[in-house]
Amino acid sequence: MRISLILVCISRLLYPFILLFGFYIILNGDKSPGGGFQGGVILATAFFITYFIDPKKIINLKLLVKIEKYLFALILIVACISYFTNGEFFTNFIPVDSPIENKRIFLILLNFFIGLKVTTGLIAVFSAFIEEGR
Amino acid sequence: MIKRMFAIIILVVIMFAFWLAYLEIGELKNEYAKNYYLDKGFEETGSKNLVTAIYLDYRLFDSIFEAGILLLAVTGIMFMSKNDERR
Repeated sequence: MRISLILVCISRLLYPFILLFGFYIILNGDKSPGGGFQGGVILATAFFITYFIDPKKIINLKLLVKIEKYLFALILIVACISYFTNGEFFTNFIPVDSPIENKRIFLILLNFFIGLKVTTGLIAVFSAFIEEGR
Repeated sequence: MIKRMFAIIILVVIMFAFWLAYLEIGELKNEYAKNYYLDKGFEETGSKNLVTAIYLDYRLFDSIFEAGILLLAVTGIMFMSKNDERR
C-alpha cells in the first residue's frame, strides 16, 4: 500500500499531541469527564497513527499480551490492598476519614493502570488484524 | 424446524419476563441511590467526577471484571488469528 507524503507528515505532527491528550484524559479522570478506559482508547489511536508513518513495522504480539496480563494482575493487587488498611476488599486503600486530596492518589493510580491495560489490549487487537491482512 | 421452534419458545419466555418486569416498574422506581451518590460521593471517594467515583470505588468489583473481559477478548482474537484454518 502506498501512503501519501502529506498524510505521513501530518501523522508525524499529530502523534505527540494525541499522546499528550490521552495522558491528560487518564490523569484527570477523577475531576473532569474521562477516565482510564476512554484515555486508553485515545492512546491506542495514537499508536495506530504510527502505522501510517511506517507501514512495515513489526510488533511483538506475545509481549503485548504478556504486559496486559501483568497489568491486570497489578490492578487486582492495587484493588486488594484495601483489605489490609480498611478491612474491606475492592475500595479505596486510603482510610475514609483522611483528607479528600489524599484519596485522589488511589483514583489516579488505578486510572493509570487501567488506561495502560486498555492501550496494550487494543494495540494487540489492531496489530493482530494488520498481521492477518499482510 | 426444531431449532426454530426452540428459538421461538425462548423468545416468548424472555418477552414474558420483560412484561412482568414492566408491570412492576412503578413500584420499583426510587431515587435513594441517586441521592446518596449526589450527596456523599465527593466526600467518600474524593472524586469530582461521579462516574469515576462509582466505577473506581463503589463498584470496583464490576470494573475489574470489565477489564478482565477485554483481556479475554484479546486472547481470543490472538488464538483465532494464530490457528487459522487456511494456513
